[in-house]
Amino acid sequence: MSALTLTHEPVTGIRHGKLGMWIFLASEVMFFSGFFTAFIILRNSNLAAFAKGATELSWPLAALNTVVLIGSSLTMAMAILSLENGKKQRFQLFMFITFLCACTFLVVKYIEYTTKFHHGIYPSTSTFFAMYFIMTGFHGIHVLGGMIPIGWMLSRSFSKKGYTDYGRVEILGLYWHFVDLVWIFLFPVLYLIF
Amino acid sequence: MAAHLSTEEIQRAYIKVFSGLLILTVLTVIAAKGLHFPESWGAIGHILHVVIGLVIAVLKAWMVVYIFMHIKFDNPYIRVFIYIPLFLFSVLVFALTVLGGSTL
Repeated sequence: MSALTLTHEPVTGIRHGKLGMWIFLASEVMFFSGFFTAFIILRNSNLAAFAKGATELSWPLAALNTVVLIGSSLTMAMAILSLENGKKQRFQLFMFITFLCACTFLVVKYIEYTTKFHHGIYPSTSTFFAMYFIMTGFHGIHVLGGMIPIGWMLSRSFSKKGYTDYGRVEILGLYWHFVDLVWIFLFPVLYLIF
Repeated sequence: MAAHLSTEEIQRAYIKVFSGLLILTVLTVIAAKGLHFPESWGAIGHILHVVIGLVIAVLKAWMVVYIFMHIKFDNPYIRVFIYIPLFLFSVLVFALTVLGGSTL
């Protein structure tokens, strides 16, 4: 019975939920590795076409999105710290800003996509844009996926009981920083280094 | 977690990382859009752009993982979950590019 009541992995002392999130993040690294490797191979055999594709992207919008995501990572870290210290209102404020940043990111992404569609650029246009849409698309889905628990925890924190599960917010934070991390690599790889 | 550090110290570390990330973002844009290598350098100029962009990205990633994701303060066993995927990713890239005969 005692094994069932353990909250931490016995050898390493890492909390189960956190261990699970790190294993998931390791698998996520491998998921995006596939795309990045495919991108490297296709780019190297098709350098001129990729360079041409990259110049059609709007790097200022991507730079704006980089700042937005970095900011949301900071507010997420601050939200976790606030909850750890029992400062409920600060937690709500920082979670709200994080949620707003995520919305901003997706709106900018939407503008980028629709601009491309208006110019007749689709995933089928070229290999570069196939990679661009699939990589940023999957990243966008990750942002959207992160917004669901952020919004849920935020709304729960307004209930009478409040939201006190510090461990879960910490785990969500790990995921959110990972989403930021993927964008940190997508930004130079897709928009800048040609 | 991070019992040996006060809230103020952690907060200061977060702000430092945030500022560092912003500065590096500006730097990577300047390096890519403002920095032009002489034509005579040929492919080397292009490779330098790739290297600068990726080195800055790795630096930024390291700051996020080390401070925001608490690798600096947390249980050292967690580092395994960074080293293993990094190793597998390197093997994948190496196998497909160098061994696969693709030119960089």
